[in-house]
Amino acid sequence: MTLEQDALKHFSEVSVALELQTPDMTLNIGPQHPSTHGVLRIVAQVDGERVTDVKPVIGYMHRGYEKIAEVRTYPQITALVNRIDWVSGFANEIPFMAATEKLMGIEVPERARYIRMILTEMARISSHLMFMASYPLELGATTPLMFALRERERILDLIESVTGGRFHPNFNRIGGVKPNAGAGPSQKKTVQDLPKGFLQATRDAMDELLSTCDQFDELVTGNEIFLARCKGVGIMPAALAADFGVSGPNLRASGVAFDLRTHTDYLPYDQVNFEVVTGTVGDSFDRWQVRLEEIRQAAYIVQQAVDQIPSGPLQAKVPKVIKVPKGEVYVRAENPKGEMGYYIVSEGGQGPYRLKIRSASYSNISVIPQLLEGVLVPDIIAIMGSFDFVLGDVDR
Amino acid sequence: MTTSPSDLPATDEASVELDAYAAAVADAVGALSWSTNFATVKVGVAPDAWVKSLRTAKTDLGLIFFSFLSAVHWTNKVEVGDPPAETVDERLEVLAAVGDLTEGRLVHFSTDLPIDGAALATLTGVYAGANWHEREAAEMFDIDFVGHPQLEKLYLPSEFEGHPLRKSFPLLSREVKPWPGMVDVEGMPDSAEASEESDGADAETLPSGVSTENPGR
Repeated sequence: MTLEQDALKHFSEVSVALELQTPDMTLNIGPQHPSTHGVLRIVAQVDGERVTDVKPVIGYMHRGYEKIAEVRTYPQITALVNRIDWVSGFANEIPFMAATEKLMGIEVPERARYIRMILTEMARISSHLMFMASYPLELGATTPLMFALRERERILDLIESVTGGRFHPNFNRIGGVKPNAGAGPSQKKTVQDLPKGFLQATRDAMDELLSTCDQFDELVTGNEIFLARCKGVGIMPAALAADFGVSGPNLRASGVAFDLRTHTDYLPYDQVNFEVVTGTVGDSFDRWQVRLEEIRQAAYIVQQAVDQIPSGPLQAKVPKVIKVPKGEVYVRAENPKGEMGYYIVSEGGQGPYRLKIRSASYSNISVIPQLLEGVLVPDIIAIMGSFDFVLGDVDR
Repeated sequence: MTTSPSDLPATDEASVELDAYAAAVADAVGALSWSTNFATVKVGVAPDAWVKSLRTAKTDLGLIFFSFLSAVHWTNKVEVGDPPAETVDERLEVLAAVGDLTEGRLVHFSTDLPIDGAALATLTGVYAGANWHEREAAEMFDIDFVGHPQLEKLYLPSEFEGHPLRKSFPLLSREVKPWPGMVDVEGMPDSAEASEESDGADAETLPSGVSTENPGR
């Protein structure tokens, strides 16, 4: 009896002494790390495998666009804003164009608005496909990358056939779209519109894309390992998301049905039918599912737009030298990463007096320290990856 | 007591509705002014009432979404770029954009700070997301956000001196090297001939120094 108790006491003391000592350790991830999508540095305090505190360090790619814009003309700034979120370069141009056109009081021709909408949705598809490629890769699955990039290449080829650029189309002009894309001096008199066969090629690509989405459902969404890694991980309540200005698919994954495409008229989204996709709990898995479903919805929008596209001019009448009247305007758009907006203060010159760029990834990742507290080290990657940020969009 | 400085009279239904909304917001937060030019709702408040107004906006008006916070340096002494067309009082205008997540409303709160010793109470107690935006505004414009938990540099290196988005901050690359767009580039040998052939309108759209005969363009 006493012997047994003694043994028990002895055993428990030994086990206490044997318990792992886990003093706080600092774990540095980045600035060069595959999961940081660029140059983001995460300084994490870890106690064993638990994260106790996280500090993101940004600014490695700060290019000072807001300052440069003050000495550039409006058409020149188009080329700059392409490079903010380079995964969806075309979509970056849209809110800037819409803001400038609003200040100048220009009505963009309907055909140009449709071309903008088709290409914006293609930019959304290519951006989300990049996420479909990289997120499983970060969780250890390499095959989805092949499927996603194959599909993305098709989309980029289509964008290239219209704009001449894969990543940085620089295709929008104030008042419309580039009227003679790819036309050399010999074709000066012919206004080149969408390339021959583009509409049919787009229809075919969308059909292919939708079947690839189904393959993704079979390959990844139902995968046990994938589910184990991201179900219930990184739950973001809607109130927290709103507080930090988290927008786009990340916000909708938390159950908020808010999509700027249904609230503003920067592109003719009222002419097409699509669903605003939402998640339920706001974990990493919801963020995956919302994006996968958004690819389908974007494909539906493109299909409808290709069928409805009206004929007509590609450019409104604009003066040769763009001078924007005095005024302040803020126009925001639903970009693949979330709300992107430009606050333009114009003093009547050829360039803005002040340009504030509101980019989505910046606000989206500012919430990450809140979500990483108390998680396990491997979950840092599973949570950060699910936010689909691009450092160009964070640092501007 | 609120006044509308809107210089464009409301014409259609949507802008009348927007004006009514802006007036209601201004009344609820006790604003000094409001405007809805270019469908951008802007409400001016006093610096002392900054945090109180935004707390009212969040709790009573449902503006729960924190979009961005930034500033504008108003001055006629501009180091680079064009100065304002008219004479303005030198000041820092701080802007905070907050919105709702149901109707798609967005309201820009604005307040004016003196240029020397600009200080404003922090919004981090109301919108936690203001943290990074205030750090950015602090380093770019030299504004002290009183009560901010960690007002360190965000983008810039910690030893960086100066506040880049102030209009007094020179853009050094332009000081050192003149803007190439301003330099008159000598034309290609064929260009004089070619411009005579073309009808003038097309020639003007080409950048200087690019031959119209060059098929590679």
